[in-house]
Amino acid sequence: MKDSYQIPKEIEQRINWLLILIIISFLFLLINLWHLQIIRGGEFQERAVKNCIRSLVEEAPRGQIYDTHGELLVNNRPNVIVSVIPAEVDNLEDLSIRLSKLINLPSEEIIIKVNKNFENPYKPVKIFDDCPQHIIIEIEENKDKLKGVILEVNPRRNYIYQELAANCLGYVGEINKEELERSENSNLQGGDIIGKTGLEKYYEEFLRGEKGGKEVEVDALGREVATLLRKKPVPGNDLILTIDKDLQRFGEKLLAGKKGSIILSNPQTGEILALINQPSFNPNLFANIISYEDWQRLSTDPNYPLTNRAVQNTYQPGSTFKIVTGLAALEEGISNSTRKIYCSGKFTLKDQVFSCWKKGGHGSLSFVDALSQSCNIYFYIMGMELGINRMEKYMQKMGLGEEISIDLPEVSSGIRPSAQWKQRELNEIWFPGDDINLSIGQGYLLVSPLQMHSIICAIATEGLFYRLHLVKQIISAEGQLVQNFSPVLLRRIDISKETFKLVKEGLRATIVKGTGWRANSNEISIAGKTGTAQNPHGENHAWFVGFAPYENPEICITVFLENGGEGGEAAAPLARETLEYYFRM
Amino acid sequence: MRERLGKLTENLDYTLLIAVVLLCFYGIVILYSSTRFGYGVVGENPLFYVKRQSLWIASGFLLLIMIILVDYHNLERFSLAIYIFSILSLILVIVVGRITHGSRRWLYLGVFPLQPSEFAKIALIIFLADFLSKNKTKMENFTYFLLPFFYTGLYILLIFMQPDLGTSLTYIVILIIMLFVVGSRIKYLLTIFLVTFSSFPVLWHFLKDYQKRRILVFLNPNLDPLGSGYNVIQSKIAIGSGGLLGKGIFQGLQSQLKFLPAQHTDFIFSVLGEELGFIGAVLLLFLYIVIIWRGIKIALEAKDIFGALLATGVVSFFLFHIVVNIGMTMGILPATGLPLPFISYGGSFMLTNLIAVGLLLNVHLYKIKW
Repeated sequence: MKDSYQIPKEIEQRINWLLILIIISFLFLLINLWHLQIIRGGEFQERAVKNCIRSLVEEAPRGQIYDTHGELLVNNRPNVIVSVIPAEVDNLEDLSIRLSKLINLPSEEIIIKVNKNFENPYKPVKIFDDCPQHIIIEIEENKDKLKGVILEVNPRRNYIYQELAANCLGYVGEINKEELERSENSNLQGGDIIGKTGLEKYYEEFLRGEKGGKEVEVDALGREVATLLRKKPVPGNDLILTIDKDLQRFGEKLLAGKKGSIILSNPQTGEILALINQPSFNPNLFANIISYEDWQRLSTDPNYPLTNRAVQNTYQPGSTFKIVTGLAALEEGISNSTRKIYCSGKFTLKDQVFSCWKKGGHGSLSFVDALSQSCNIYFYIMGMELGINRMEKYMQKMGLGEEISIDLPEVSSGIRPSAQWKQRELNEIWFPGDDINLSIGQGYLLVSPLQMHSIICAIATEGLFYRLHLVKQIISAEGQLVQNFSPVLLRRIDISKETFKLVKEGLRATIVKGTGWRANSNEISIAGKTGTAQNPHGENHAWFVGFAPYENPEICITVFLENGGEGGEAAAPLARETLEYYFRM
Repeated sequence: MRERLGKLTENLDYTLLIAVVLLCFYGIVILYSSTRFGYGVVGENPLFYVKRQSLWIASGFLLLIMIILVDYHNLERFSLAIYIFSILSLILVIVVGRITHGSRRWLYLGVFPLQPSEFAKIALIIFLADFLSKNKTKMENFTYFLLPFFYTGLYILLIFMQPDLGTSLTYIVILIIMLFVVGSRIKYLLTIFLVTFSSFPVLWHFLKDYQKRRILVFLNPNLDPLGSGYNVIQSKIAIGSGGLLGKGIFQGLQSQLKFLPAQHTDFIFSVLGEELGFIGAVLLLFLYIVIIWRGIKIALEAKDIFGALLATGVVSFFLFHIVVNIGMTMGILPATGLPLPFISYGGSFMLTNLIAVGLLLNVHLYKIKW
């Protein structure tokens, strides 16, 4: 019996041709297998058995980091590691006893290390880090008694000035499982050193070089006889920062023993000249693997030395926020150069009493006077008349509640309150009392020092937001320019010249005859605003934002002192000292 | 239904089925040997990969059973839908896929990572078998002859965005062999061949750097002795040192020391070659030959052109993977990253293999009787 249909002869023929291709393919595989395994088998067996061919990885040095004048801040130093290759050890106990005499480590501990970190017989197990010169010599001299012990040299991150700018530079460490899985870079492996925080993390792709390696033939004593293959490691690219080392260091000394931040930048370019955080930490502790004790100490320190306060933490801005309230009031026509308000020291809303910081009141004040005296009553009324919706518009314009664009990881966006925000987060409606609190930078509003700094830059430039950045150039190890970061104008806000002029006048008056008098310098003309953020949990936070010279601003400054007390008393003098130092440089 | 069950017991290709089952067992043993020291990030559990692979094999056989329960002629009706569905899944990968080792190939549905480009191989075979069997006579016209290239080209375009050179080549080989078998003019095929070759310099620009490097390193391994070239050198040492009888299962020096890269996926043949030697490798090739031989026989005995083309499509898919993978581990073909059927670790690929076997078995159920 035959089915209704059958494939045509022509197709049958073609399939037979295909059969020939198949036969050829398998013959091809078989012949090659025969050649590789039977004919050359002996040769490869020899190569595999005496795999006295040792594969060694050569780590690439990370790129170096320089300050704006080309002064070296971060480099790499050779770190000699004593390791054991388990496969080459005849008797681990004997070896550990001999080795322990040299490196001052109990032999039991050496055995534990080898067993714990054993991955495969040919992978070197690290025993001892940072081997000093005299031990290196002894090990080299006793090589014949230390079969299986090798010395590896790896570059180790070296932060030349220890704590200097540590919160910005960040630190490096061994890649962890999550980072390995998240990474898009297929060249990364377990055990690799990568940037964990700060610039080290942000510019990781540039800083990390390309690992090299070599295959060496070793004799029975483990001595390298010949290098069979070698791939040179490619060093990473260098960073040239906008940070001025001396200015940074001056600021850090000024803040020593305190908790807080100072930010200095050029408002016309966005270049950050100093980003100071105290307390700081020594990133050298992390350079390879941080000890458990050090990590415990740093991570549980109540003063959070690992945090970049200026960028990652948020606080109430206090009276520095009056700049924003004032800007909004002028721009919306609620205030102007002539409108005066009488401050009796008290402001009553229904049955609630809100007071000015000056008990007896300021009397009748114009806008410029109100800003310079930091009169609460004036700004309460501005805030009430503006209402939260208009306030929110201006806060958004000034970048509050949004992440600042900067070349650092983990930037906080803070909280920009609004009626919807309060409804959503607290399930409450927005009260007029909230307007009053917000108008002087109290209540729900939270900003990072960097956000406040970005605002003062926009005031100094009359509406320009340049991208803040810490790196101005990336240079290859051969000195070739890889990337140049010229100023990037992120946005220009549409606020009238007159408004800026009045706000700036107020800021200048603050220094000359107002709350910021302690920042008044007879060397340069400074403009600025002080702030004291009420802190129910402890001492108040002190703020100062400002710029200089008043006529033609070339530098902006933000000083923030956590639990530092009064802005005018604590923060303003630090700002003056820093700016005077800058202009003397 | 009774008639169908009768057909099943009467016409089931037991030889093919037994060869496939043996291959899967063989694969599990080798996989255990290459992963029991906890290869990769997962570590610890020596049975991690074996367990997962067994699960994939079991689900693959379930799919296989489902496929042979339905007459393969139903596929003709759905071929366009299958084609469109697979194209969409490839687009989805580009849009939301997950990246591992620098390429975007995976789609996460719940917990299972799926690789649509594998299943697309089956979709392409079905679609081309339907298209070519229906338009056989029209293929005399050269413009018509170019149409399947367009359909396949769409796949390749999407795969190149992932990017995956090996898979793209698989599609091309499947297309060419199926076109050849359906009786296309040799003149046409040669024209295409010549045009492709002469446009190679242009195509070169579309390759990713790592793909260019692989081809260059293939041509001259010394260019990168510790990178891509290193893999091949270590793999050659492993296979070569296996000799006639091998070092014994679980005894491979190279394999157990993890000198070998991707030794549970692309380079698993090196482990087999080292531990079981020439004998073990020949046994593997023998099982493959059984599958290919049965595939050809099924094509020749197919009830219609559609069935014959399905079978040759599957045969060309297996053949290409086998030759390219083993050739790569021996350092005689470039490292394109194609896995070894039934042996390499990988869920989507295992499912694809068993679906392909299901198609072969299905065509065989309706074979003509002499």
